[in-house]
Amino acid sequence: MGAARKILASAIACLGLWAPVMAADTPGKPMPEANEQLVEKGREIYFARCSFCHGLLGDGEGPAAKYLDPRPRDFTLGTFKFRTTQSGELPTNEDLFRTVSRGLTGTAMQAFDSDLIKNGLSEDERWAVIAYIKTFAQEFEDPELDPVKTGKVVSLPANRAPFNDETVAKGKAVFEKAKCWSCHGKLGRGDGNKEFRKDDWGFPIRIRNVTHPWKIKAGSEVEDIYMRFSTGISGTPMPSFVKSLNEEDRWNLANYIKSLQHTLTSHQALKANLVAGALPEAPGDEAWNAAEPMDMRLTGQVIAAPRWQNPSVEMVTVRALFNDTEIAFKLTWDDPFKDVTHDPSKEFDTVELAKVGGFSSYVETNGMIPRALETFRDSIAMQFAVKPPQGTKKPHFYRGSSSDQVHLWVWKADLAEAGKRGTEEGNARGWKQPIKVQGEDNQQITGKATWDQGRWSVVMKRPLKTGDKNDVQFTKGVFIPMSLNAWDGSNGEHGLIMSLSTWHYVVLEAATPMSVYIYAILAFLIMGALGIWLMRKAENEAEETT
Amino acid sequence: MKKLKIGSFLTVVVTLLAVYALVKWGIPAVSREITTLPFPLPVPGTLMFMYMVLTIIALFLFVTFSDEGLDDFLRPVRKFLRGGYGKIPRAVILLAIPAIAGWQVYENTVPRVEVPASLRIQHPSSNFPRSFEALKNPVANPSDADIKTFVEQAKANEVSFIPQVREDIDNWAEENDPEHVLEFFAVAPVKKLLEQVQSGKVDMATAKAALLEKNLFEGRALYAMNCRACHGDSVAGDGPMADGFKLRPINFTDNGTIETIVEGYTFWRVTNGGPGLPTEATPWDSAMPEWKLSLTEEERWKIILAEYNLAGKTPRIPESH
Repeated sequence: MGAARKILASAIACLGLWAPVMAADTPGKPMPEANEQLVEKGREIYFARCSFCHGLLGDGEGPAAKYLDPRPRDFTLGTFKFRTTQSGELPTNEDLFRTVSRGLTGTAMQAFDSDLIKNGLSEDERWAVIAYIKTFAQEFEDPELDPVKTGKVVSLPANRAPFNDETVAKGKAVFEKAKCWSCHGKLGRGDGNKEFRKDDWGFPIRIRNVTHPWKIKAGSEVEDIYMRFSTGISGTPMPSFVKSLNEEDRWNLANYIKSLQHTLTSHQALKANLVAGALPEAPGDEAWNAAEPMDMRLTGQVIAAPRWQNPSVEMVTVRALFNDTEIAFKLTWDDPFKDVTHDPSKEFDTVELAKVGGFSSYVETNGMIPRALETFRDSIAMQFAVKPPQGTKKPHFYRGSSSDQVHLWVWKADLAEAGKRGTEEGNARGWKQPIKVQGEDNQQITGKATWDQGRWSVVMKRPLKTGDKNDVQFTKGVFIPMSLNAWDGSNGEHGLIMSLSTWHYVVLEAATPMSVYIYAILAFLIMGALGIWLMRKAENEAEETT
Repeated sequence: MKKLKIGSFLTVVVTLLAVYALVKWGIPAVSREITTLPFPLPVPGTLMFMYMVLTIIALFLFVTFSDEGLDDFLRPVRKFLRGGYGKIPRAVILLAIPAIAGWQVYENTVPRVEVPASLRIQHPSSNFPRSFEALKNPVANPSDADIKTFVEQAKANEVSFIPQVREDIDNWAEENDPEHVLEFFAVAPVKKLLEQVQSGKVDMATAKAALLEKNLFEGRALYAMNCRACHGDSVAGDGPMADGFKLRPINFTDNGTIETIVEGYTFWRVTNGGPGLPTEATPWDSAMPEWKLSLTEEERWKIILAEYNLAGKTPRIPESH
């Protein structure tokens, strides 16, 4: 039957109709009875695959746990975030199965479904490990707490509202009425609170930016979203709206949240668009609408100590405009807090982390660095290769290399806030040395920035050419390697504790040469003449034969 | 028997379309089913070009095989050119063909923003030091002395672990109050060793198997702490940091990755990272760290042991052995 199904699937695929790839996050059969044998099998799997984060005791204190945010679940408390049960209830077996199978997006908890991961776990293995996990919390032994037996399951109703402008608009009204914005922000960027919230374990939590689907842990589909605000997220301030909103409202709200999700661009080269006249200086200037955006993904700086795997800035959208003499870049990224102070005395001493054979070269999530407001500044840096690449050769994307330097345009929120220039030009030859700031005479970048509704917008402008051999020079049509470093101060980021991107490119659009149009018109004329000649010939032949 | 007959002109057109569709969509779709990879194998443009040229040559031979055949083929063309199918369709098509030609020329000559192509060699060997070639993983091949030390430690219930896992083991021991610290190991070789320790007679094979499990346990913990963020929980190159890198972290479960190289090579790559690569492997795009700056040799070898084990692969055997 399997083979027949495969052939059928290929036949369908050949017709260009893709059979949706269904990951098995719903089990084929219910959980087998948890006997001693199953639990022991689960223990073996847990020991090899789970204990390094979740701990030998299931307390979420494995060797890797201190470096993770969100932290691994503590199974001993019986508190689980992602359920299909009422607020505060235990999860169902299927809930645990779903999480183990598909993982939690954007976190260290990854998919373990063997259909998704070659060396993942089979359905039987997943049930075994779930049987073992359930032994950690006594609550699972109490039949009175069983959400299925006590009817505490929140089912997904079949009356799902269609996804269209009308239901999205209704959902927006629900978003207002239910005050979702008080935490998630008016535009859903997670900027509603003026200070950090803490979870039940006392750790600072980040309110979800619902516009970034790659961070929505338990799934970004409408059904997943519906379930989240129906059940609430245990251990966090996210409540259940099952009593305050009816089913229709919740479906509409889910559609609205879905409509806020950002779709990433996929190109790797930013086209700087040519404009006539002066370049816009203010981030809000309408002239920026003419610039094509490019989304750049960033990730934690995990290449050298101090390594950091909990970056805040994971996407920056870049635009560029240029005229005859200048080029301007606009960078926008989401950050729920505007951090405009910097206290160098609180900076982290990285000496211990940088030792060979030290305990760890990663920065711990909590405790090592202050993740608090009014401590470190928000900042961003654009990085360019100074020399245009010869062949494919470039400096290393992490601050260049000793033989190949990079040029950095650093913008610092605290300087800008204090009314200073805000931008600093510098050079680097590898990450081992700090950025060498250029002399005052060579500081040619001007910058302007705004922070609004959880989003920074920064404009940096410079002449296309400078006389300085340490500067990047912009020539039309040349691909210039470009990358980013970013810091979110209230996430404890400073120095090399930051997020960064790999190399992308920026290229100044070159006017289309006249020859291109001439060739195209020529091709049209030749083909046209040929057609007419053939037509005439055919008509003449017809006359001759008659 | 009545033969379904379409004109040879239509046959040519339908054949061309069918071959194009097969190469463009059919091959990638079938390749996906055969390889079971989550993406189709692309058909290179040059291959498509060759297939189409071959098809056209075959069709040309077919049409010009006889004068009647050629006549058969050209009849609808002539009829069309004389306006036999109507004057308006003729005008439309006679305008459309030059327009498409002009557009194609424009498309092919207009300057575009495309990332410069860069070739990359996955396993470069131009600067791979020969001294690494025959290296054997010391923690996968412990010496008799190592095994004896481990047995002594096991007998005295004083097995030493790397500091990174000690806290978790201590917590476990405090909660469970075990007779022997190794009891947390949920694996057969260690259970067997514990039985033998109790009876007083420990054989070297059992002790070696148990020591490997201990090294593997430590290696997995070091992997989870150091490598997991990029290479993922299941060494599938899909860790939470992976999406930010243009060169994605390697998926060790893929065929043709760590099983095609000798252990010494893996050790060299882990040790020197991206910056240790030669030019043909584009070191400037590699996020692989120089782990010699953070991890001891023993830690690196333990991680390599765990990495092969998690991937379910074995390293290639050096040729001299």
